[in-house]
Amino acid sequence: MNLPHFANQVLERVRQAGAEADLIVDEQESLSLKARDGALEEQAISTTRILGLRVIQDERVGIAYSEASDDAALEHLAEQALLNARFNQREAHERIPQNAQTLSTDDQLLCPSSDLDNEARIELALYLERTLANKPQIRNVPYNGVTEQLKHRQVFSTQGLQASSRQRSNALYAYALAAEGELTAMAGKGHAARTGGQLDADKVIHQAHAEAVALLQGKPIPSKRYHVIFEREAQESLFSAFRLCLSGRSAQDGINPWRERVGERVASPILHLADQPLNTDGFGYHLFDAEGTACAETPVIVEGVLQTLLHNSATARHFGTQSTGHAQRGPKSSLSVGAHQLSIAPGQTTQSDLTSGEYLELTALQGTHSGANAISGDFSFGATGYLCRNGERLQPVRGITVAGNYYQMLKQIAAVGDQAHWNWQRSSLMPLLRFADVAISG
Amino acid sequence: MLPVEIAQRVLDHALAQGADFADLFVERQQRQSLSTLLDQVDTVQSGLEFGIGVRLVYGDKVLYGYTNQASADVLCKIVSTLAAKDRRDPISTRKAFDYRVAHDLHPARMPLSKDSALQAKIEYLLRADQAARQGQSKITRTMGSVAQREQQVEIFNSEGLHTTDTRHYCRIALSAVAADGSEQATGAENIGALVGWELHQSDDPLRLGEEARRQALINLGAKPCPSGQMPVVIGNGFGGVIFHEACGHLLETTSVAIKASVFHDQMGEMIAHPCVNAVDDGTINNAWGSINIDDEGLQTQRTQLIKDGRLNSFLVDRMGSQQTGFARTGSGRRESYRYAPASRMRNTFIEAGSDSLEDMIASIDRGIFAARMGGGSVQPGTGEFNFAVTEGYYVENGKVQYPVKAATLISTGPKVLKEISMVGTDFALACGMCGSVSGSVPTSVGQPALKVDQILVGGNA
Repeated sequence: MNLPHFANQVLERVRQAGAEADLIVDEQESLSLKARDGALEEQAISTTRILGLRVIQDERVGIAYSEASDDAALEHLAEQALLNARFNQREAHERIPQNAQTLSTDDQLLCPSSDLDNEARIELALYLERTLANKPQIRNVPYNGVTEQLKHRQVFSTQGLQASSRQRSNALYAYALAAEGELTAMAGKGHAARTGGQLDADKVIHQAHAEAVALLQGKPIPSKRYHVIFEREAQESLFSAFRLCLSGRSAQDGINPWRERVGERVASPILHLADQPLNTDGFGYHLFDAEGTACAETPVIVEGVLQTLLHNSATARHFGTQSTGHAQRGPKSSLSVGAHQLSIAPGQTTQSDLTSGEYLELTALQGTHSGANAISGDFSFGATGYLCRNGERLQPVRGITVAGNYYQMLKQIAAVGDQAHWNWQRSSLMPLLRFADVAISG
Repeated sequence: MLPVEIAQRVLDHALAQGADFADLFVERQQRQSLSTLLDQVDTVQSGLEFGIGVRLVYGDKVLYGYTNQASADVLCKIVSTLAAKDRRDPISTRKAFDYRVAHDLHPARMPLSKDSALQAKIEYLLRADQAARQGQSKITRTMGSVAQREQQVEIFNSEGLHTTDTRHYCRIALSAVAADGSEQATGAENIGALVGWELHQSDDPLRLGEEARRQALINLGAKPCPSGQMPVVIGNGFGGVIFHEACGHLLETTSVAIKASVFHDQMGEMIAHPCVNAVDDGTINNAWGSINIDDEGLQTQRTQLIKDGRLNSFLVDRMGSQQTGFARTGSGRRESYRYAPASRMRNTFIEAGSDSLEDMIASIDRGIFAARMGGGSVQPGTGEFNFAVTEGYYVENGKVQYPVKAATLISTGPKVLKEISMVGTDFALACGMCGSVSGSVPTSVGQPALKVDQILVGGNA
């Protein structure tokens, strides 16, 4: 299929109806492997294409998508989007941007050739499962996998935009179930890289084994307020659960508690939060957003003061400001707003100062999708981790909950570590933060 | 949807690679959704999904691939790629297709393919919004949605199965935000069923709006929740998520077969208090989690999971049956052609008992009444679960005292099953989406109100 030609055909149908439009085409190839008891248990491969059309006619927006690419399906795609637009309200702020340009990401950087053949990849999956399963006190490795994805996004518009972005990503993960008598504990770790050859299975094996075995002896601790450090994965989960507060779209909808707080202090003065879409070390790298707007670093919180919300062109127009290049849209969804790669600037606190005295290190949070109310900020999660003193883990802890209000907690950041780390999926880059006075129930 | 000649050619090719078994899952799905914000339409969108999943089985190994292209050449290429490392001389031959369609237990009167009914859906949501905000200035936002889809599936396998089914899903939801100064709180209500747009005739939009408003206002005045081990009464309907998370997932052979479930070796044993009877039933007419056939083509059934506290059955799909020896239960499900099937729940519930809600609350000296539950999650290997309370009350001296916010219940499946001491009479089902290895599938949860003698409540008081 000649995609640009095909896109032109779809867009031309929309033009003839007196409307403007943009078309997102997402193509993906993927491979995933899972092992069990030393043998390959599952191998999955896929090749897919989804087309998502957004039309704007008389200031009304209509969305339609199709996974079929035959002529009838394409005719239906344009018809449906135009029909849907007729039932929508007028929305003067949402327009197809005037950005006639051709954009393309660097394949050498983001989409290097695959450096593992299928045989080697299968051997990696088997090695991961077999080696971890053979570690002391490990009963089995019920969840594990080695994956590769090649994603290609193209955006075309009636205003002349032609944008293309390709990214390759590889990952491996393993969850080890440790057992000792009646006691069981499970822990999972992962690693992501551009190419399969960069994946570090031994590190994942070591970390998953150590964590699962340590948690076997985990028990609740007395209910009270503790100083808490969320380990990097847990901290990323916490911040992700409350991303709504950064969104210009949720502000426009009236549900963002920070909608009228730009210019005000919303966090401790030692917090500096930015979105860094152009950091090529991360997998949230974006050269352009879903509207084809160029991405750039956006300082969001500086010295605890909210500098801006994240905007697409429509929310920016609504608030009388400029798009920050954070339009987000999948082929199946309407225009929204989202962060690309959140980053917290390292602070002044050394690791030894950060971990001085008694504190709770939480390595995993459970229920972040259900136990958080991003509108009110209230949360209550299950948690596991360690009771620590002066950087030493004194006792593994499980069967506890951590509860509080996220927006209040941001004001209670006691220290910001001086080293930033990626989470394993390389979607955010943050130092460890120490929070004071957090409610723990055990 | 897929020409029979193509299915024959692909399955023949799979068996020629030495596979023990192969099947094809063909799916064409039409979707439409619309959302409102206050009294305005926010989004209107629709879509067509189409794809084919091909599964090859070699012993206990599953090879799976999928594509959007209904081409024999493309599908055969996927088969060749999948089988590259396992290719061997053929050991079986394909049986001739015997086309059969199961009786439709869940007919729809207003399917999406006949009428998108957009104007009627908009009017329904605007009436719900009006009910939520009428005379109440503290309700500052409402968000409504209607999602309807029509999924056609066609399944072929190398044992001669050829069958089709059409499933109609419709769900309506409204959430409300209440605000008082800088404080905000939310409430939500939804209905859903395996039907077409006639769903709207089963419930008044005014009730939907008023219920979302009621919850938002209660949560706006809620106090921080006390924490610690205490008795909890869990309300009916969506309260059944406790059983879904704590036990249901642990009874799926997806976990049992790999010994990742704490119940994997406890068939026939007492795993719950004798007052507990639990069922997973795919046959309830037009219920949200029902099906005619599962996604492996087997007619669905009612499965008694726990009888008088004793483990009676697992939920078993084809691979689970092969690996555990238990008979299939029509529980092989998947979100779409993008996933290989796995054993999954359908409408899963604890059956009604004989206790009253009033007696349960009256029996508590200090505890929580979790009237409405939110979502949760479980770690099957250890049985550790958590789930959120979206409408809760502190109970003292047998009486409800005040609403509480931000509460989570955590425990383990085996422990909580034995801590259930009272089971009520007010049975109800509620709908939700369940995420697991084969994607997100519609499931109902359900129970009457029940009392758990001791569970950890996480709060912020």
